[in-house]
Amino acid sequence: MSILQNPIIVSVLIKALVAGICLSILLSILSYFVVLQRLNFLGVGISHSVFAGLAINYFFALSTLFIPIGFACLTALIIGILYRKGLSKDSAINVMFVFTMALGAIVLSFSSGYSANIMGMLFGDILAINSIDIVYSIILLFLGLLLLSVFFSHLQLITFNEELAKINGINVDLAYYLFLMFLAIVIVLSVKLIGIILVNAFLVLPALCGMNVARSYAKVIFWSIIFSVISTISAIFLSYYLNTPSGATIVIVFFILWLISGMYNKILKWRKQ
Amino acid sequence: MIEFKNISLVYDKKIVLDNINATISKGEFVSIIGPNGAGKTTLIKILMGLIKPTSGSVLIEGLPPNEYISKHKVSYLPQQTNINWSMPLRVMDIMLIENTKTFGIFKKPNKELIEKAKKMLDRFDILDIENKYLKELSGGQKQRVELARCLLKNPQILVLDEPNTALDAVFNEKMYNILLEEKQKNKTTIILVSHDIGAVSKFVDKIMCLNVKLHCADKPEHIDFKKLIAVLYGNDTNIVLHSAGCESCQFYKTQ
Repeated sequence: MSILQNPIIVSVLIKALVAGICLSILLSILSYFVVLQRLNFLGVGISHSVFAGLAINYFFALSTLFIPIGFACLTALIIGILYRKGLSKDSAINVMFVFTMALGAIVLSFSSGYSANIMGMLFGDILAINSIDIVYSIILLFLGLLLLSVFFSHLQLITFNEELAKINGINVDLAYYLFLMFLAIVIVLSVKLIGIILVNAFLVLPALCGMNVARSYAKVIFWSIIFSVISTISAIFLSYYLNTPSGATIVIVFFILWLISGMYNKILKWRKQ
Repeated sequence: MIEFKNISLVYDKKIVLDNINATISKGEFVSIIGPNGAGKTTLIKILMGLIKPTSGSVLIEGLPPNEYISKHKVSYLPQQTNINWSMPLRVMDIMLIENTKTFGIFKKPNKELIEKAKKMLDRFDILDIENKYLKELSGGQKQRVELARCLLKNPQILVLDEPNTALDAVFNEKMYNILLEEKQKNKTTIILVSHDIGAVSKFVDKIMCLNVKLHCADKPEHIDFKKLIAVLYGNDTNIVLHSAGCESCQFYKTQ
């Protein structure tokens, strides 16, 4: 029987596709700044803090997203403050990453029957995406695009040189904290699709693929989005057919696209010589 | 007028700047010299409102730096190492990057500004690289782009932190001439941090000699360089200044 004849499967796939496309567009744009500001490891720190938030949810049998979002935002804020106060980015992220992971593991150890959900939590599960997630994803996409259309040039200037941004009247600290918090919210919503462990791939691979095939910032972002959306759509179907975790499948597809884009880049350079 | 009043800065129990008092008049071309770690960059960061001093204050035309900078045209060239040159931007993007109202993903810069930017690039002999990407530029080209960006604003105050580190000898001379033109034409106040003591002594109105303390702030012709160099860099250092019949200066002119 074709999957299109089964309304339950169609509904699951549509939900996964809509949420996946919205989040991959947002994460691709954010990845441009994450990679250029050398915050590549940041996604790991924030996504693992979601583990503690989700563990609390399981312990109290809650389904709200507010606790994971709260944990992620708080972690992002603390990482930001530690970094601005002089601790290296890697150290700040590592301290928060291990603390929130340990907290999550302890809370989960007190919950009964958690092991069934842990694979989905860590590596993504498209069956877990519900209608509320779609609504959140669409709202977040529009909000993100609106904010980025207004503040893109400010973020671009901050990325180029923070001092220059300050002299031009931009509140760099505020912009940095807001960027981290927005990133944290997007990561929380992406966890069901991609999983805690692999969500960072979406903050690094889009920009790296985009930079392999394009040179101007607008084209880099455009191609980042294209690569993300292609890998999300194809991986959602592959994950259904192969019965594999959605996040792991997305990352494998993305990795292959990164290899192909890298080869394209090498060929271009070789032809220029 | 810029006034540094009793500026001191202590960082990690170490005195970085010790009771700096100085004034810079409007339209004056001033160079801050001193050895590495003397506090030159820190002092100009205090002037730009980027760092708060532990004690003392800076006033620009009677206003605190942040207030003055928000109301007037001030350009700043940070040290090259603090700039993110890995961004996928063209030279023309850098010229427009400070103009956040018209430069962006859904915004279009006006033609007038682009034409002005092109003229400025031409002034620095780099119009031919306007569409080149930052990754393709040499150190000297990057520095010229940054200088062109700074002058595009027609600034009232121009603050340059080691602008000639990657410039070749010929363009180094040209840079000073462009800065002198700017000073004469627009009465721009120029503050330049440099290690090129020989060249600055030839071009600037005033030299501020800094090594945690301000050792002197005077016209180059009034400074006893031999004595000063010994104080700033130690007795073994010898610096050759450009003179009226300097051969390398003649070489620059023939170029």
